Amino acid sequence: MNTRQATALVADDEEAPRDQLLAGLRSAWPELDVVAVAGNGVDAWDAFLEHEPDLCFLDIRMPGLSGIEVARRIGERAAVVFATAHGDHALAAFDAGAVDYLLKPVTADRLAQTVQRLRLRLASVPGGADPTALAAVLARLTAAQPRRLPTVLQATVGREVRLIPVDEVVYFEADARYTRVVHAGGDALIRTPLKELLAQLDEQQFWQVHRSTIVHHRHIAAAVRGDEGQMHLLLRGRSERLTVSRHFQGLFKGQ
Amino acid sequence: MTRSRAPETIDWSQLWYPGPRRVFTAAEMAEAGQDGPSRTMLVVTLANVAILVGVLLVMAPPDVVGGLMLSVLAFLLASSAAANWVWWRPSRLGLLQASLGATFAPLVVTWLVRSWVPERSDRVWHGVVLAGGVGVVVVMLWFVAVWRAQQIESRLRERAEREQAIEMARRLAAAQLEPHFLFNTLASLQHWVDTGDARASRLLSALTGYLRTTLPMFDRPLLPLADELAAVRHYLEVMRLRLGDRLQVEIDVPTSLGAQRLPPGLLLTLVENALLHGIEPQLAGGRLWVRALRDTAPGGPERVVLEVQDNGPGPAPDPSPRQGTGLTNARQRLQLAYGHPAATLELAAADGGGAIARIRWPFEPQASTRP
Repeated sequence: MNTRQATALVADDEEAPRDQLLAGLRSAWPELDVVAVAGNGVDAWDAFLEHEPDLCFLDIRMPGLSGIEVARRIGERAAVVFATAHGDHALAAFDAGAVDYLLKPVTADRLAQTVQRLRLRLASVPGGADPTALAAVLARLTAAQPRRLPTVLQATVGREVRLIPVDEVVYFEADARYTRVVHAGGDALIRTPLKELLAQLDEQQFWQVHRSTIVHHRHIAAAVRGDEGQMHLLLRGRSERLTVSRHFQGLFKGQ
Repeated sequence: MTRSRAPETIDWSQLWYPGPRRVFTAAEMAEAGQDGPSRTMLVVTLANVAILVGVLLVMAPPDVVGGLMLSVLAFLLASSAAANWVWWRPSRLGLLQASLGATFAPLVVTWLVRSWVPERSDRVWHGVVLAGGVGVVVVMLWFVAVWRAQQIESRLRERAEREQAIEMARRLAAAQLEPHFLFNTLASLQHWVDTGDARASRLLSALTGYLRTTLPMFDRPLLPLADELAAVRHYLEVMRLRLGDRLQVEIDVPTSLGAQRLPPGLLLTLVENALLHGIEPQLAGGRLWVRALRDTAPGGPERVVLEVQDNGPGPAPDPSPRQGTGLTNARQRLQLAYGHPAATLELAAADGGGAIARIRWPFEPQASTRP
């Protein structure tokens, strides 16, 4: 049995349903520690990386990243419970599988069931969801989500606006409220925060390796593991080393 | 059962003018009374007649049996014809006609029989058979009429209920009551009621207004812009309460254009699309404009232009199938009403980002003054 207090993330883009769920959780599970509350998918993912909660309650329709996309990124690292207003056909899959779902407005009885299920899961399987069930559900749901990707970034440098083709970018790095774009011809700052940029980039090309770093995979030469479990990336033709945080080390496991 | 039923009041008129009170129209009969007489009833009737014949054969004096049998046969034919008559005309008048027919035909036959057969002491027998037969036949016809009337009535009622349910479903479907919209709204409402938030009341009245304006909206092929706009305002009020600062709305529709008509639900579809694809995907929310104006371009026909604009990510290069259907459907309905190219619906990238949907259709001068 896990003696540590369970932690949770709650994300919904509408204030009232979010508050309703929070209030419901407070009474159904008083010892649950809600470590982060997010109002969109981008913040939800960022908050997950920052707080590493055991449980994530995600609304499905959210700006930035949908709840589905956040869940796919979270993968097996937490138990995900979807909250949705309407029973889409995927709900049958949730019901049968490892992930739970809640229909909004959330009722006390139904939430109590979910809490029961989550307590059992936390007690038995440290780390969360059944990966195959989750993967199957998510594969089906993500198929229908077309995304428009920008091809050019506009960075303001002094009085000029520089256009940087996205495929010339080596990596992005969060820099306070800005994002530093390191590209073939130098580097520049853009105003879009990294967490928002993440939602606009092609995941196949740009790999997030840290809460504040996204790299174009073409420029990665090697991943080097250190003595104490840390990991660094070596880039082609560049001297800097990028840190890979624990969450993303699974991307580099060798074949 | 908890349902209590009022005690039945006796319908005394059944004594002098029996039969079902309701008269079915030809259309109603065609709808619910097309089936032929019940075969069960026929079998039961024939069985009863057989018993009657048996009893007569045993009990009546042998010399009158021939005459009696003729009378019984006459009764049988007359009453089945009468029953058939009632079957197709289950009303008081039909029952009266059938009863008279079923009584007089055997009387005539009996009178004929008796004029051939010399007068004898068996008059009593004929009297008994006649009186009994007439009584039985009339009561039977009454039952047939009542039973048949109830059958048709319940069929009609059942059909009406079913049609009502279908109609309601059709209206709800036509009103595009999106479950996401409805349940998300109810979720907010639930929370605000639970916490005693003052927004609950405003949200409830906006939702009520929305439902009240959209449900009857699809009864007419064309709807005045003012009516459609009322539904849109309620919808946007609901969304503004739910989304808070994330939604800014500007509506600029001159009242002089309020009587211009367009297929119902068109503007609402465009506004819903703008919200779903333009406002909701934005992290910081966005702004939505609804504008209408009279297009008096020189040389061309006068037209009304209705625009819905957002400052979101702009129209997708290849619209998702769902968005595509909504738009295609709206365009088809518009062109069905006004023809192409008189009426057009286009979706384009707006100046300065976002999407703009634009409907143009012929201006109707006579519609300017509302009746």
